[in-house]
Amino acid sequence: MALALSRVSARFDDAAAREVSVLKEISFSVSTGEFVSIIGPSGAGKSTLMRVILGLMKPESGTIVRNFSKPAMVFQNYALFPWLSAIDNVAFGLRMEEMSRKEREQIAREKLKEVGLAHLEKHYPAMLSGGQRQRIGLARALAISPDLLIMDEPFSNLDTITAEALKADLLKIWRTYGMTILMVNHLIPDAIELSDQIIVMGAHPGCVKKIISIDLTRPRDTRSEKFFKQVDRLTEDIRTIS
Amino acid sequence: MIRSVARPQDSAWHRAHITRRRRTWIIMTGVICAALVLAAFGYFGTVGWTALGEAIIRTTYRLVLAYGIALVFGVSIALLVGWFSLTDALFPIFDVLQNIPSFALIPFFIYFLGYTDWMIILFAVSSITWPILFAVLAAIKGAHKDLSDAATIFGARGWRRIPYYLAPLSYPAILTGSIVGIAIGWESVIGAEIIANTSGFGAFIKTASASGINQAAIAGMFVILIIVFVTNRLIWAPLLVESSKRYAE
Repeated sequence: MALALSRVSARFDDAAAREVSVLKEISFSVSTGEFVSIIGPSGAGKSTLMRVILGLMKPESGTIVRNFSKPAMVFQNYALFPWLSAIDNVAFGLRMEEMSRKEREQIAREKLKEVGLAHLEKHYPAMLSGGQRQRIGLARALAISPDLLIMDEPFSNLDTITAEALKADLLKIWRTYGMTILMVNHLIPDAIELSDQIIVMGAHPGCVKKIISIDLTRPRDTRSEKFFKQVDRLTEDIRTIS
Repeated sequence: MIRSVARPQDSAWHRAHITRRRRTWIIMTGVICAALVLAAFGYFGTVGWTALGEAIIRTTYRLVLAYGIALVFGVSIALLVGWFSLTDALFPIFDVLQNIPSFALIPFFIYFLGYTDWMIILFAVSSITWPILFAVLAAIKGAHKDLSDAATIFGARGWRRIPYYLAPLSYPAILTGSIVGIAIGWESVIGAEIIANTSGFGAFIKTASASGINQAAIAGMFVILIIVFVTNRLIWAPLLVESSKRYAE
């Protein structure tokens, strides 16, 4: 088991300094090497849940078992450091691990090659397109060899063609590294195509409404009847829940 | 594989920048032409250029030293406040303190330091620090939460947060704070020199005005304007262009 949450609740102060409950009694577990998607409407506290899992925010109550030592995250808004070039962004985590410059640059170059951006290593984030920035974000996460990769709506700011290409790369990377992936998503077909398990959340406050296992064989044919049926079933489930 | 697509320079920003640069050049050409015309008509005939040069060098030296101290002091305090996440708590206190009119403090500086170089320099430090401090604090406070989270997740924790995240994050703010700070610094150094009446451009124009030679003050203004313009074109403008390109969203 890579991660287990038991009755986790969280609150924070809103703009008017009122305490707002954002997560209420969240319980689920993620097995090692599993690809899990979290879907839910806006206000379901999905991003807050990721921050709680990573220890960036303290939960109000509940228990979190973290059987991972090196988490990494890919952000919706890329969160690349604008003062660093692509290669230095990718090598950032390795630099913090005090790895020698030569070694970390070699690893960073490998990761940039893996995401297809080896030729852009000297470019700064401001010089890159959204898709390229997201690939750099993915390379930065992969560079530290994480055992848990958290992705917060990584495709939502990308055009369809770029998102499709990145999704294919992500699946390839997941198969290669075998890491546990927890991805916040809002597209049902994407979640079904990628995931072993989908956690459906409700909003105000965020709570787990349903956990669905996807048992379609891989690689998944997104044009098959089974796939469409699964999409229909999940869409119906979400409609009923909301 | 996606090919490199370097984003074209934001055209509105580029146009505004060119216009601003052109306007600065037009103003400076006007200033220099005015000085040359006045010089041609012998307006500056009574000016003691050696004394003026020495006075301006002394004032510039004080300003540069004061800026250096204020930069280290203001940036260090802001980074420490940001590091300890005390921005929200201390912002109002700093705001009250910076609203104390700086010249109201000059008797204290004179009391403790006398009419010395250090009185003028440290008085200027007390004025230059604020814009730098506030610019950096605002940059840290306004940084996107994701960027801060990314720094934490990828290992910029503890003391490492300062050199690897907070300091580079603050770089554009340090530049803008410095530009405003130096503008205020000229005023503070010259003002303190007028009050102390020891040496420097402030003391020079005070003496010159008392003798009724206002040409010396006007010549000095021209020289200072040219120093400010050259500093801006050679140092601040290139740094600002580079920073706005690199830190663009």
